[in-house]
Parts: sequence; structure tokens; C-alpha cells
Amino acid sequence: MDTLQFLADGFSVAFQWQNLLFALVGVIIGTAVGVLPGIGPMSGVALLIPVTATITSGMPTSAAAASSIILLAGVYYGAMYGGSTTSILLNTPGESSSVVTTLDGYQMAQQGRAGVALAISAIGSFCAGIVALIGLVLLAEPLSNVAVKFGPAEYFSLMLLGLAAVSGLAGKSMTKALIMTVLGLMLGTIGIDAVSGIARFTYDQPILYSGLEFLTVAVGLFALGEVFKTILEKDEETGAIAKIHRIMPTKQDLKDSAIPITRGSLLGFFIGVLPGAGATLASFFSYMTEKKFSKNPETFGKGNIAGVAGPESANNAASGGAMIPLLTLGIPGSGTTAILMGALIMYNIQPGPLLFDEHPEVAWGLIASMFIGNLMLLVLNMPLVRVFAKIIETPKKYLLPMIVAISFFGVYAVQYTTFDLFLLLGCGVLGYLLSKNDYPVAPLVLALVLGPMIENNMRRALTISNGDFSIFFTKPLSLVFIVAAAAWLLVPLLLKLRGRKVIINEEG
Amino acid sequence: MKTWKKVTSIAFTAVLAVGLAACSSSEKGSESKVEGASASDYPKNNITIVAPSGAGGGWDLTARSIAKTMNDTKLIEKPIVVENKPGGGGAVYMAEFATKEAKNDYVLMVKSPPILINNDKAEGNSPYGYKDTTPLAQLTRDYGAIVVKSDSSFETLQDVLDAIKADPTAVTLAGGSAPGSMDHLVGILPAFEAGIDPKAVKYVSYDGGGEAVAALLGGNADVIATDASTIATYAKSGDVRVLAVSSSERLEGELADVPTYKESGINAEFTIWRGIFGPKEMSEGAKNYWSDKLAEMVETDEWKAELEKNGWASEYRNSADFTTYLEEQDKVILELLTALGMQK
Repeated sequence: MDTLQFLADGFSVAFQWQNLLFALVGVIIGTAVGVLPGIGPMSGVALLIPVTATITSGMPTSAAAASSIILLAGVYYGAMYGGSTTSILLNTPGESSSVVTTLDGYQMAQQGRAGVALAISAIGSFCAGIVALIGLVLLAEPLSNVAVKFGPAEYFSLMLLGLAAVSGLAGKSMTKALIMTVLGLMLGTIGIDAVSGIARFTYDQPILYSGLEFLTVAVGLFALGEVFKTILEKDEETGAIAKIHRIMPTKQDLKDSAIPITRGSLLGFFIGVLPGAGATLASFFSYMTEKKFSKNPETFGKGNIAGVAGPESANNAASGGAMIPLLTLGIPGSGTTAILMGALIMYNIQPGPLLFDEHPEVAWGLIASMFIGNLMLLVLNMPLVRVFAKIIETPKKYLLPMIVAISFFGVYAVQYTTFDLFLLLGCGVLGYLLSKNDYPVAPLVLALVLGPMIENNMRRALTISNGDFSIFFTKPLSLVFIVAAAAWLLVPLLLKLRGRKVIINEEG
Repeated sequence: MKTWKKVTSIAFTAVLAVGLAACSSSEKGSESKVEGASASDYPKNNITIVAPSGAGGGWDLTARSIAKTMNDTKLIEKPIVVENKPGGGGAVYMAEFATKEAKNDYVLMVKSPPILINNDKAEGNSPYGYKDTTPLAQLTRDYGAIVVKSDSSFETLQDVLDAIKADPTAVTLAGGSAPGSMDHLVGILPAFEAGIDPKAVKYVSYDGGGEAVAALLGGNADVIATDASTIATYAKSGDVRVLAVSSSERLEGELADVPTYKESGINAEFTIWRGIFGPKEMSEGAKNYWSDKLAEMVETDEWKAELEKNGWASEYRNSADFTTYLEEQDKVILELLTALGMQK
């Protein structure tokens, strides 16, 4: 069968009524998550994993995995749509990937063109979603064919690259990011070692034999951490919401944004494919590119529609591009994709080169559903933009208890142990303390997921090479990854030393 | 207008919250905490059969066959879910099964000789063995196989052994279980019999037979040891060549042309039995329920079709016979490990 046939099969999976529903629910929740400032795509997805796991519990594993990943991915790219709403209406980005949108978006709103700005970001996001989808279809199959040839050495180096990339870009201080990475790797060693079967750091507590549950840690650090932060820091509500008048963009608006949307989509997609460089970077790069190419760069920051169209397309395309390393190599490039990967593993679906052979319905179903989901978002966002804008007004006193309740119900529904509830609480407190002190949490979660895989592959590689570490440098692909990993860490450092300002990726 | 706005936003979030909460509390919420169920009301919930390995290996296929047959024939109406819990050649989940799930009548586990091996071996010893479970039934019999890629230069088992003898560091043996566990034993048994120090053989462990086969096909292992039934489909497609099987006589079906260890001049054999286990403190009602249902299941045509499809030989032992068999096998395994110098 060729790719088109697989894609057709994927659509038949995505068009099953329950999957259409899952995609719809996913994108709606995603948009809400994007709009609400307290909760980002990472905590949104983590929070929903146990919920989807429960809903799909009666279904066969593969179908359950497909349905639930369709919903979770919907939350991920739906959040990219929603994030722009608050940027434009409130001058407060719902997501870090929409920070640049505030520059021109809020200005447009001040000029009474809020509706147009929202519409153009929805249209741009849609086009970007389609570009990302085409990229996925074209690249997924060939890439996964190459990836089958990957041996333990290549996997080890590639995962190292993933860790280095996220640590190199996350947060304000690389030292802090690296501390979090190492902490995550250390937490990942708890439990019975999968290679030798020896118990490590379990202190004879049977509850620790299977290690710390990734889901509990992620929900605690992200969702509960945010809750504690909001309560303790008493975030003040921001100013008035701009009124939405006209929604449909004019012909001139469309003409002005066509090129930025195309450029933003392509740029965003390729940045998204790179591990570590997520949607935030993509939107920044797109904004800078648009400003550079513009005939009148002085209008940027004063309500230029290209400054909304480009970055909004780029951040959405990046979220699609980020699916490529996740699906074909089994390597998450960011915090959110790490959580998506955790969800797949919960269903025993190992993302990676074998995914397209063993579970084509999951891989292609997801790809096809992203197309449908993007269409839904466009249809939903144009007429409903006023409704979504109202979500911003959700009082914290209702929102926060809801997040707490879903966290606890969700974790218990999957784990059935009170230990995990205490772990959840502990991680919540830890998440608050860490983010309060500018320690990025995403590298920790990524390291927790990748740690055991890195270790196993390193040990396999070393067994093959009879304990000779040079195997990582003599295999050409592995060497490329290691050099790239070193570059991710060293280049920002060098730039900083030379006094240059480095863009950081706070989205993770 | 303003109040209306507020009302809609509250209503929206409330719907979201109620919807989510309802989803998470329904269906699965009460799955595990039922103890001491009597025969009449068991099973009240969905049942989970755990394959303590990744997807695609012998445990996984056995668990899926049981679940499918039980549900298809309506012997058990409640949906049976198969879960994979890979790690440590089964040792990781064994610890959880023997401790966390010890009283959970709704979680069963499929296992084979590693339940004994992991408990008897010295390195990476699992403190839990078959005594920490309730053996319910033995269902099938299978054998180990030594496999190479179809374009490999190794034509016979003897070729492999000669190459290892010449330079143990040059040949990479892989398997789907931890060092010292079943695939490793299947692989080093011939080497040991041929006078090679078993510790010198280079062994790389993967999470389950499926991953080991992928490593072989991707050129990251020279030889793999796995079970005969799993490898038959790959042999059929021509991707791999099976050099020897660990049975006492030639197998039927796809692998009929493959010589046994004995025919290859190696005086050894290894039987892989597979069975299903309940938790240690399984209630009497649940145990009887499963004993009856399993005895019925092995007689059905659907089960026989599953055996045929997977290339397994049927070998049914009920709970009591299975327990006795496990005691005997435990001694056999301990002798084997002692001979290899790997015993506890």
C-alpha cells in the first residue's frame, strides 16, 4: 500500500463518529485551554490523559489509543488557536507562543479591528495546519523507513539531542534547565531496572518498583503547580476586553496576509520539526521575518495585519511539525509532545519507526484527524469567537477548584493508589516552588520520559561494542546527533558570552 | 447584558467540568477495589489480563488469545482488556502483581518459565516467584528458537557456535527478555553445551520479542533467541531464517524443516509452557470461576483456532496439576541455572 492508501485508511478511522466527537471535544477544550491564561497546553493535555483513558477503557487497545490521542492532539493544536484570542483582546497572551501576537494584535483591537485580527489568525492557523499536514504525510513514511535502521547508538545520541535541545532553550538560565534535566534523569532511575531486573532506589517499597508514574508527576508539576501559583500570587485580572465588531476580513486584509501566512506556515513547520524549538520560537522567528521582508517595517507594532498572520500561522504549523519526531522516531521534542508520548505509551503504543507498521490506524488516524480538527477549528472560531472570548471571564474561584478536582480524580482513576495522590500533591508544591524560582519544569518531565530509554539504549550499544564508548562517535548518524546536541548547548552560551540576547522557549 | 455574559461563561465552564468529572468517575471507577467476591457476583467489572512484556511477544499473544476467545464465545461477558507492562523480562510487573494487586480479583497475568527463572537466578533476582500467585491453568507449550536474518552468513547453529568460539565479542545475541531470563537461556544453552563460557556470550536485551526481531531486521543484532511460535510468521515472510528449535522432536507447520538442538549436535532441550495466574490472595469464588471457565475454554473451537493460528501446541493443566508441575519445573530450572553457574 502506498501513502495515499494509508491516508485514506486514516481518514476512515478519523471519520468514525466517536473519533469525530473526540476531535471536536479536543479542539474545543484546546481552544478553552488556549484562552485561559492559567492553564497551558502542557497542563491541559496532562490533565486530560486520565479522563480520556477512562472514557476509552472499554475499547480495544489500538482503537482506544487512536481515539484518545486524537483528542489530546486536538487540545494541543486547539490551544494554539485559542492562545491568540487573549493576546488580541486583552494584550495578555494565553500561551507563550502567542506573545508576539500581542504586539500587533492588540493594536488592531484598539483600532476596532479585533474581529478581523481574530479571523485572520484563525485562517492563518488553518492554512498552517494544512501545510503541516502535507509535511507530515510527505515526511512521515520515508523518515520512519530510515529510522528502522537506527540502532541503540543512534537512538541514544538522538535522545541526548532532544534533551540538550530542550535544556538549551528552556527558561532564562541554562544552568537551571540542566539541573532540572539531571533531576528528571535521576527520578527516572527509580524502580526495577528494565535490563537487569535489579531494584533501584526503591527502599523495599513495592509501590516504587514500577517507578514514579509519569502522569502523576506531569499533572502535579504543571496543573497543580499552576493552581498553587495562581492562588499564592493572586494574579490580578487584567484590563478591559476589546469589543469585537466586524469579523470577516476585507479583500485587502486577505491579500496582505496571504504571503505572511505561507511564509509563517513553512517556517513554523520546519522549526517545529527540530527538537526543542517549539511554537514560541517559531512565532518569534516568523514575526522577525515578516518585519524584515515588509515594505513598511515601521508599521509593525502599530497594528500591521502581517504581524498577526505570520506568527499565528507559524505557531500552529510548529505544533504539527513537532508531531514528526514524535511519531516517526519516538522522540518528543518538547514538554507537550513528551506528554503526548506518555499517553501513547500508556496504551502500549510505542511511538517510533515501528508505529507506522504496527499501528497504522493510530498514526494515520491521528494525521487525518488533525486535518478534520483544523477544519472544525476554523468553522468554530469564525462564528464563535465571541463565545470563546467570554471564557476569559471565568472567575478563578470556579476554575481553580475544577482543575484540582480533575487532577485528583484523573490520577486516581488511572493509578488507584493513595500513594500517587500524595505524589501528586508533592509534585504540585514542587512545581510551584520551581516555577517561582525560574526553574523550567519541561526539561524535568522530558528527562523523566526519556531517561529510562536513554539508559537502556546506551547499555545495549555498549554491549554491542563490548564496552567501547567510541561506538557513539564512529557511527556517522550518531556522531551528527551528538555534535548537534553539543551545538544546542554551546551556541546560546557563546551568544550570551558575546552579549547577544537569546530568544528562549518558555513553552517547553 | 453584563450578568448574562457572566452566566454564559459560568455555564460553559460548569458544563466542561461536569462533563469531565462524569467521564472520569464513571465506568472504570470501581474496577479494582472489590475483595472477596463470592462466586455468584464475580465478575462485576471489566477484567484485565496483563502481559508483562511489550506488544508482539508470546505473553502478549497468549493474553490476547485468551481475552478474545473468552469474549467471542461469550464464556465471559464482561470485556477483558489486555495490558502490556514491559520491563525486566517480566520482573517489573511481577513485583507489582505480587504486592499491589495481591488481592485484586480483576487482574490476571500470563507468564511462562521466567516466573521461575527470575526467582532462581542470582543476578537481577526477583524476590517474587510462582508462590506469590495463584496458578490457574497451563494452556500451551512452545519452544525456543535460534534465528538469524535471511541474508546472514550463518547457515546452521554450528556456524553460530563456531563464530562465538572464535571471537565471543564479534557476535551479538539479542532477545526479548532480561539477561539470565528465558531468551537468554535459550540462546546460551547451546553455547554452554558446546563448551563455551556462557558469560562470554554477548547478550543484548530488548523489551519483548517484537523489539528483538526489529533489532535483528535492522542489523543491530546478529542472532536472536526467541520463541518458535512468534518467529514462525517472520520465517514465512522470508525475512528471517530459523537455525534451530529447542524441542525434542521436529515441530509441525511452518518450522517443520528446522532441525532441533539435538539434531544440530547439541544435547539440550527447553520447553516454554505458558499459563495464566491469578493474584496471590485471589478469592475462592474468583478462583473457581476462572478454573471452570478456562477448562471450558480449552475445549472450544475458537481456542483451537487461536492455537493453530499462533502455532502453539495445546497443553492444558488445571490449577492443582499446574501447581505441581511448577514445583517440578522449579527444580529443573534451578539445576539448569546451577550448571550454568547462574543460580541464586
